[in-house]
Amino acid sequence: MIFLYIGLPLIVAAVLPLVGKVSKKVLPDVLANGVFLFLFAYAVTGARGLLAGGALHQTFAWFGEPLGIQIAVDGFSLFMLTVVALVSACVGLYSISYMEHYGAKANYYALLLMMVAGMNGLLLVTDLFQIYIFLEVAAVASYALVAFGREQAELEAAFKYLMLSVVASAAVMIAIALLYGLTGSLSFTGVAEGLRQLDAKAAGAIASALFLMGFGLKAALVPFHAWLPDAHPSAPAPISAILSGLLIKVSGVYAMTRIFFHVFGLTPALSDVLMWTGTVSIVVAALLALKQRDMKRMLAYSSISQVGYVVLGIGIGTPLGIAGGLFHLLNHAVAKSLLFLTSGSVQQATGTRNLDEMGGLAKRMPVTSTTSLIGSLSIAGVPPLGGFWSKLLIIMALVQSHRPVLAVIAVLASVLTLWYYLIMQRQAFFGKLNERWAAVKEAPFWMAASTIVLAVLCLVLGLLFSSVVSTWIQPAADVLAQGMGM
Amino acid sequence: MATLDIVLLSGLVLASAFAVLAKDLIKAAVALAVSSLLLGIVFFRMNAPFAGVFEISVVAGLITVLFILTIALTRTEGEVRESKTVLRVFPVFFVLFIAIDALVMKGLTAKIATLPAAAESGTFGDVLWKQRTFDLIGQLAVILSGVFAVLALFRKRDKDE
Amino acid sequence: MNSHWLVYLFFAAGLVGIGLYALLTMRNLIKLFIGIEVIGKGVSLILLSTGFAKGHILLAQSLVVTYIVIEVCLVATALALIINVTRHTKSLDVRKLTQLKG
Repeated sequence: MIFLYIGLPLIVAAVLPLVGKVSKKVLPDVLANGVFLFLFAYAVTGARGLLAGGALHQTFAWFGEPLGIQIAVDGFSLFMLTVVALVSACVGLYSISYMEHYGAKANYYALLLMMVAGMNGLLLVTDLFQIYIFLEVAAVASYALVAFGREQAELEAAFKYLMLSVVASAAVMIAIALLYGLTGSLSFTGVAEGLRQLDAKAAGAIASALFLMGFGLKAALVPFHAWLPDAHPSAPAPISAILSGLLIKVSGVYAMTRIFFHVFGLTPALSDVLMWTGTVSIVVAALLALKQRDMKRMLAYSSISQVGYVVLGIGIGTPLGIAGGLFHLLNHAVAKSLLFLTSGSVQQATGTRNLDEMGGLAKRMPVTSTTSLIGSLSIAGVPPLGGFWSKLLIIMALVQSHRPVLAVIAVLASVLTLWYYLIMQRQAFFGKLNERWAAVKEAPFWMAASTIVLAVLCLVLGLLFSSVVSTWIQPAADVLAQGMGM
Repeated sequence: MATLDIVLLSGLVLASAFAVLAKDLIKAAVALAVSSLLLGIVFFRMNAPFAGVFEISVVAGLITVLFILTIALTRTEGEVRESKTVLRVFPVFFVLFIAIDALVMKGLTAKIATLPAAAESGTFGDVLWKQRTFDLIGQLAVILSGVFAVLALFRKRDKDE
Repeated sequence: MNSHWLVYLFFAAGLVGIGLYALLTMRNLIKLFIGIEVIGKGVSLILLSTGFAKGHILLAQSLVVTYIVIEVCLVATALALIINVTRHTKSLDVRKLTQLKG
């Protein structure tokens, strides 16, 4: 059943262009959103039971002959599958109204489904080479989605994104080939086993550095972040939401964490590198975000900064730190996709992303402004919203592992985060209504509905944080904690 | 490892360097095809006929055709000149890079210990279909992604757009 | 066997270096893309020679075939992007891409 996460989007994407010939809008809407909602429902209800007896490994057979298809699910990948399903479902619903004026809806949904299939595949594989394949599946779909409107800015952004992304994949592929050359195996367990027998310090360090560069580029950690502030704001809003909310986390953070914890085993040196890259990302991106006048660009810089928190938390390597990092990943996925979706509603209503031209929109767009405020406060870490608890966990873990300097930086940067989000809120939604926007209307039904769902989730994640952490985060963190000190 | 291999590999690197430096795009595309051809021959000599055929037919053939098609479609009046320094610095960069590369590889010779691997059996088909079946699904997915991407980028403007 | 592997790695690293140089310094969009292709050649050489050194030539071939298929999809997407870009800017010059500021 778990194979449906790859198979179902793949099959539906393959038939969508044909369906699109019959019905231009309604059927693609229904089919694609049906897939997203089904996958989400299954992740929340059925899939948990599969893990009752520990991690699940599946192989497939064809007429009695075993096939070389192996997938595995453990707490970590199930958690990520759920996040992917959740955000993609909300993005799918939002697209029903938002993508009306772009045309070619069947094609759009086909690409979106391929991107989700690629991400799900990446979460389920047990083999290094297959990580690379599914990385590319999601990436190729995302280039086209960034450029979907075919305006000059979008094409430029997609081209820059493609160039850097290709370098990232090449670095990953070279590292994989090196590990294969050292150990003669490609599966996670095989390579981990081989590395333990082998004392390969120099070559292992080269491979780690290449992985760090490759996945750092995919996750847009600070020395490698140049493409993100172009690519994410230029894309159509639902795509910005899914890129910032999911893609950088799945193809960057998840893949990096999986390999560093389960293949190399997290060493103290690696842990230090991860923590410092995370911290530098947090500070630099937050400072850059302060200067932005373009709403989506500010959100994009904020994504770099918040992914820094996730990497910082996971890099600490203590169970508390990992739990904090993963919880922040969930909170950021929900809140940042919410914020990108609301910025899309604003852009569609007013035609601008420039904060200086906005003002007083709260009076004309109450739903959009309220949900955007909730998302901003959650990311900025205001209690009792989700982002507060996850940042608290990360900071507590830093203090526990005797890293007071990093803890202080993390606290100060979160004040900075609150500051630029308040600037954004004040300039866009509060203050005097600019007369130009006197006739602006609230976002259409599906757009408003999906932002409301995400805003409610921000609240729920904060209010029920202890049960969320114990049912979803803890199993995932436990899996990673096992990968320590191998 | 025969001298012929070294010659082929050196030719591969030089052809690629020429492809990067050539002023005329068509010449660059042809140089790229030549380097693919050489790479294909290297693959054959490593006892890898399937990879060799694939490299020659798909990369040297199909991709070159796509390249030349693109060059023809994007031909514009103003030629894009690369800056002179870039072309002049290249030999310096290249020599330095090769020297560092050689030093690193020499340093690694002593250090790299690798595990012996079990011998493999069966045919290419067996390996591809039975061991790496999942890769085929991945290939299918990449091809679908690529097709949809191209369709999206070349779609006609809808009336209601 | 190892020393042979390192000879192949040496040449493959040369290819990757040339490609990176092109990516970092060139102005013509198509030249940038040639850089990517050269990197791709280097990577497939690394992949196959690794399998060769391990005595896994069949496995390595199937990996290289998959890698080439992925590369073709990437090339098609990138060339489609380049054609679309030149429709707007009427030029292949990367310096004309100035809509987005750093």
